[in-house]
Parts: sequence; structure tokens; C-alpha cells
Amino acid sequence: MAPDIEVDSLDVWYGQARALKEVTLHLGPGKVLALIGPSGCGKSTFLRVLNRMIDRAPQVRVKGAVRVGAFEVLAGDVDVTALRRTVGMVFQQPNPFPMTIFDNVAYGPRIAGLRQMAKLRQTVEDSLKKAALWDEVRGKLRRSAMSLSGGQQQRLCIARALAVNPQVLLLDEPTASLDPVSTAKIEELIVQFKTHYTMVIVTHNLQQAARVSDAVAFFEHGRLVEMGPTHDIFTAPRERRTEEFLTGRV
Amino acid sequence: MADRQWRGARPLKPPGQGRAAHKILAGMAVLAVLLLLSVIIPLVAQAVPALNAAFLFGRAPGSIAPEAVNTVTMVAISAAVSFPLALLAGLYLVEFARPSRWTRAFDQFTGTVLSVPSIVVGLVVVDVAVVRWHWPVSTLTGILALTLMNWPLTVALVVEALQSVPGLYRDGSWALGASRWQTVTRLILPLALPQMIEQGGMAVARLMGETAVLIYTAGVNVGPGWALGGPGESLAVHLWLLRTEGVTDLASSQAAATGVVLLGLVFLVLWGSRRLAEWLQDTA
Amino acid sequence: MRADRIAALVMKGALALFIAVWVMVAVIVGAGAWRFVSANGLVGPLVSSRWSPLAAHYGILAFVVGSMAVTGLALVLAAPGVLALSVTGARILRGAPQRAFIQILTLFVAVPSVVYGWWGLSVAVPLIRRLTGTAGFGPLSAGIVLAVMIVPTFSIMALQTLRQVPSSLVEGSLGLGASEDQTLWHVILPASRAGLSQGFLVAVGRALGETIAVQMVIGGQSRVLSLLKPGATLTTQLLTDLALMPARTPGHDALDFMALWLMILMAVLVWLQSRVRGMSRG
Ligand SMILES: Nc1ncnc2c1ncn2[C@@H]1O[C@H](COP(=O)(O)OP(=O)(O)OP(=O)(O)O)[C@@H](O)[C@H]1O
Ligand SMILES: [Mg+2]
Repeated sequence: MAPDIEVDSLDVWYGQARALKEVTLHLGPGKVLALIGPSGCGKSTFLRVLNRMIDRAPQVRVKGAVRVGAFEVLAGDVDVTALRRTVGMVFQQPNPFPMTIFDNVAYGPRIAGLRQMAKLRQTVEDSLKKAALWDEVRGKLRRSAMSLSGGQQQRLCIARALAVNPQVLLLDEPTASLDPVSTAKIEELIVQFKTHYTMVIVTHNLQQAARVSDAVAFFEHGRLVEMGPTHDIFTAPRERRTEEFLTGRV
Repeated sequence: MADRQWRGARPLKPPGQGRAAHKILAGMAVLAVLLLLSVIIPLVAQAVPALNAAFLFGRAPGSIAPEAVNTVTMVAISAAVSFPLALLAGLYLVEFARPSRWTRAFDQFTGTVLSVPSIVVGLVVVDVAVVRWHWPVSTLTGILALTLMNWPLTVALVVEALQSVPGLYRDGSWALGASRWQTVTRLILPLALPQMIEQGGMAVARLMGETAVLIYTAGVNVGPGWALGGPGESLAVHLWLLRTEGVTDLASSQAAATGVVLLGLVFLVLWGSRRLAEWLQDTA
Repeated sequence: MRADRIAALVMKGALALFIAVWVMVAVIVGAGAWRFVSANGLVGPLVSSRWSPLAAHYGILAFVVGSMAVTGLALVLAAPGVLALSVTGARILRGAPQRAFIQILTLFVAVPSVVYGWWGLSVAVPLIRRLTGTAGFGPLSAGIVLAVMIVPTFSIMALQTLRQVPSSLVEGSLGLGASEDQTLWHVILPASRAGLSQGFLVAVGRALGETIAVQMVIGGQSRVLSLLKPGATLTTQLLTDLALMPARTPGHDALDFMALWLMILMAVLVWLQSRVRGMSRG
């Protein structure tokens, strides 16, 4: 079952620079949260805390509590690899591995110890179908993933994330580098995934946020200015800053 | 204020799990560095008894001052000859010639000749200069050999440095009506120079340690004073000779001391060229 | 433009000189090798290991095998060190320690081979002597010395390749729940294949062409491979016999024959390198 996400006064520093300030929010299971806000406001930072990818930044410090389902994300003894299998991530630039299409999707299950070829095949096929890529690549699974178009590569990355059976999906501007048609396909997927996965998506495209999300969180200078149901945020924001941002008067 | 905001913040250490191989590799790296240090440390330790002013600067036999002078002069002259020649050739290849099958074939050619073993170069120089032209085994012949060794490497490093300058800059300059020559001298060369100097330092350092190519060209003797046609034993050759033929304790500590002096010169060149490159980069 | 034309002419001259001189080198070596082959045949000398110039017997098999054995041994011995140093320098250390680490390796790249030879004579040979009860000179010692010598060069190249693996690939792998170790084996190293092969070929070239460090510890006898007994390689035999057989003496052409083989091997290695580069682009 898709888990909920609870964040309690989260602070993040990169060295001396504070990137997030007392962020508190709750996202229900199976919901889609869109993060919006000006560049550098901490959206990616927030996202990367949720699967501990933030660890990769040097000299990063955190304060507060983050819970994803049963995972105490910031606890010292959390099993980070298990967390990352549960919380999948899709990046701004499609980043397929330089291997075949099959090996890309099979990467996660293999890492987790799955060896049986029949099961691997089944998982790969299922994942590609869920990512709506199966029809385009069936019979070509032995080709290099690099031979796919950008939009196909991004859907491959989604399939790759799905192959490890995550319950949460984090998407950091997943369509920023794609053309409109590919963007529409990915948005369609997100809408289909609703209720199966809890999702957090960063986007600079406000229409996209309006189309796919259940809730919107507006960040500015590392603070969560406002969060609410998508409809409410776009029609009747409570904060003046949110309204200025949405109407382009930044 | 600063203190308050930090209260309760904790560093996130990358997870320790699943890093066993990294830890083993780090341990092996420590061993490998120790092994490399075992090249330098015993050398310095054995050199200590011989490292004194008479050995380093004296005029009596046994001092390595003549070898040091031979090394520095031969390297300096051959670098001074090969660098301009290589610069011109490299400039033509990168800035003037159109890329074609020929320029690619030339890359192959340079790559091959720059990895020709130094003893093969020594063989050819002996056959041509010493046997056919009757040049003496001397600093002059040594310079010829070192120039030949250094030339391809310098062409390669010049080409690499020029290619590292983005093509957009050239377009920009040509669009302003500058000729190729102006573009090269005013724009490209200053940009490529720091890298050329740093890599050139590596090349010069390599020349200082060349041994095989010098044994039969510059020889294993020194003369009473430096002369272009005089015997031209270098530090590296001296070290080789002492260590393969000398058997006394004195010879072995003198060999080590020669090695230390050679290393000192090599590191000095590296350090100097890097500082120069940094300085040029900063003033640019 | 006039200045351009004059400049181009001067530069073309410099380039032509460079090519002409090195073609001459090849021709000189090639001519000697040709005379040698006309007199002794091509295959005979390659399959015979009897090297006795006084009896006009010029089998170079022992040297070819010696070169290959010493090079192969050096690569096998160096591999673990290269892996450890490059992974440590590229994926474990960061910031200032990383820069210092790379600088130290660069210093070792610049250490002259005669110093590595000194180390071989003063440290490696006595050690082998004590461990095996032999004289200590031979291909084993030469392989060890060469391994220590190529480790810095090969490691720096491997390190730079590993560093260039895009962090998006690394994060893609970690994001799927892979551990750091799994990411290293399954993503970082495979993605660096082309660069690592390149470094490998450069290391082969250095080992094959090295003369002085090997000559100091290999013992210098024509003998088909015995790791612990004195042997010789193509380069070390060239060094010792250049003094004994100066130009225009009967055996001299044999030296050109060996030199030509070395040049051909280098050309093959360089060609392989360009293939590897093409592979990484394609
Ligand atoms: N690894 C890092 N080290 C230091 N500072 C960082 C690091 N990553 C991000 N920052 C800083 O933290 C702040 C928040 O960055 P973040 O990437 O979270 O912003 P963002 O909202 O995702 O921006 P964008 O919309 O441009 O992607 C920025 O000021 C950024 O410069
Ligand atoms: Mg971002």
C-alpha cells in the first residue's frame, strides 16, 4: 500500500548555507504533491531528503524528523538501501545506464538479488508496460538504451524505477528536458499512477502542477510558504507571496 | 545566533552499509602509496652520507657538479630547440589545416613515434651521428638524441592544449574580421599557454631522467669543463653506471645521492612549471 | 591574407621537417632490418632462441618472450594497485585530500625510470634473493620493478576516467537501492571501460618500451623464460649489444631488426588506442 509522508520542522544546511528552514508538511497515501517555487528555493533539496540522496552532498547537516511510511528517514540506523528501493526517483535529465534496455530495467531487481531469468523477464516486461514503453521497445530489448529518444529514455528511467516495486516516486522536473508530446505522455503516466504510488513532483510548469497534482506546496528561500489542495492554491491562495508567484509577479 | 541555529543539527554521514569493497580498496591504496614511498625513502636515507658540499658542488673528481651541469644544459638546449618546432607544427595542425584523413593519420603517427622506446632512438642516433657523421660521443650528440625524444611528445602536448580551447572562441574572433594568424597569436595561444607550460614541465622532467638514449650518445664520462663537443654524462646515466658497476659502499651512497639530486631537479621543474602556469592563468 | 599565408608556410615547413625526420628514423631502422631479413630470413630468427652473434646465430625468441613475460607480469602485479589507487582517488577522497593525492601520484609519474631501477637493485632484488635463494636477478624482479613504475601512470589515467563518470549515473544507481559497492562494480567501472582500456594500452606501451629499469635487474642473459634466472628483453638486449656491435659490424643489423619489432608493436598499440577512443564515442 502507498505510504504517507510526514515532515516535521526540517532544516537542511549545505556547509554554512541553510537550504531548508523549518519545513513541516503531511502528504496522504497515494496522493500527488507538486513542489513549486523560484529557482534555488530548495525544492530539489527537499526531494533528495526523502530518499536520502542528500547524503551525497558534502558537509550536509539536517535537523527535524521525516517519516515515509514506516521509515524514519533521518534516523541514524535507517536502512538507506531499503529506503531507496521503497522511494524511487526520476531525475531531470534522463539518465539511463550505458547498457541494453533490458539490463537497465533489470538493474534494480538484480541488485536486490533476483537471479532467475524468467522472473527478471516478467518484471522487465511488466515495468515497461506500466511505463507505457513496452509497445515501442518489445523485440528490441537488447539494443542500447542510448539509442532511444529523450522521451523514451525518460520513460525507461521510470520503468527502471518501477521495477524495484517502490511505493513512493520522487520526480525532479521529469519533463524539463522533453518535447511537448513526450511531456504529455509522462503526465499521463503520473495521473495513472495515482493511488498506487505516493508521488512528489518538482516542476516549473504551473499548468503541469495543476494538471497532475492533488496538492501543491510553494517554497521560497527554503521556507514552505503555503501548502494546500491544488484547486485551492491556484484559485484562492492564502498567502500574498504565493499569489504573486502564480501570477508571475515574482 | 549562529550557535543557536546549529543546535540539534547533525551531519549526515553516507551510509556505512555496502561499502566493504571501498574500505578494502582504500586499505590497499594505503599499501600502494607506502610501496611507492619505499622507492623514495630508502633513496634519501642512503644518500645522506654522501650529500655534502664537496659532492654536490666541488671541483674534485667524484663530485657530481659536472653531471648536473651536463643534465641541465642538454635538457635546456634540446627543449629550447624542440619546443618552437613542435609549436609551429602543432599550430598548423590545429589552427590551419582542415581536419581530414591526413590529420587523423598524423595523430596516429605522432602517437607511435612518441612511444618509440628511447633505446631505439639511441640506436639510430649512434648509427647516424656518431658512425656516419663522426660526431663525438658528447653533449652535442646527447642534445640531438634528447631533442629527437622530446619532439613528438611536445607536438602531442601542443596539439592537446590547442584543442582544449573551445572552437566558439575562434568563430567569435573570425566573425570580428581577425585573420587566422591574429586569432592564434592574440586569442588562442594565451589561452592554451598555461596548459602547454604545465605539460611542458612534465616533458622536461621526463628528459632529465632519460638514461638509455644517452648512454652511447652523450657517454659515461665527464670532461674537465663543459664543452659542446665534450663528454656529456648526465645525472641519470651517472646513477645507472654507479649502481650497475660500482660495488663499494661509497659508490652506492653516491648513487643514491645522485638519484636525490636528480629527483630534486625533476620536482623543481614540475613545481616551477606549475607555478608559472598558475600565474599565467591568474593574470590572463 | 598575406600574413596567414606566410605563417602557414613556415608551420608547414616545421611539420614537414618533423615528419621527414621520423620517417628517416623508420627508414634507417627498416633498412637494417631488411638487410637482416635478407641474410637470415624472417621466421628463423623469431623461432630460435640461440643468440650468439660470434657464430652469426641471431635467434631473438628469448627476448621476445622476455619482453612479453615481463610486461604481462608487470600488468598483473600492477592491476590491484591501480584499481585501489584510482577508486580511492576518484570515489573515496574529496576536496583537498583528493587534490593532494592526485599531486602525489603525478610526482611519481615524473620519477625517472633509473630511480625505479635503483629501487629494484637496492630493495626488490635483495628481497627476492632472500626469499628464493637465487641471485635475485630475472624477469620476476623486472616485472616487479615495472609494476611499481607503471602504477602511477596507469592509476592517474584510470582515476581521471572514474572521476568523469557522470554523477547522474551514480545517483541513478544509488536511487534504485544499490549500495556504493554495487554501484562501483556495476555502473562506474563498466561506464569507464573505454578510458580504462586506454590507460591499459598506455601502460603496456610503457612497460614494453622500458629499458633502463628492466636492464638493471633482469640479469642480461639470453634464456627462454625462467622467472628467477637472469633473462633479457628486446630493449635490454639492444642496450647491451649496442656497445658490442656498432654499426657496420655483422651483428648490427640484428639490432635494427629488434628495434623495428618494437616500433611495430608501438604502432599496433597506438592503433588499438584509437579504436578504443572510437568505441567510447560510438
Ligand atoms: N550540493 C550543494 N552544496 C551546496 N549548496 C547547494 C547544494 N545543492 C544545492 N545547494 C544550494 O541550496 C539551495 C537550494 O537548492 P535546490 O537545488 O534545492 O533548489 P531548487 O529549488 O531545486 O532550484 P531549481 O529550481 O533551480 O532546481 C540553493 O541556494 C543551492 O545553491
Ligand atoms: Mg532543482
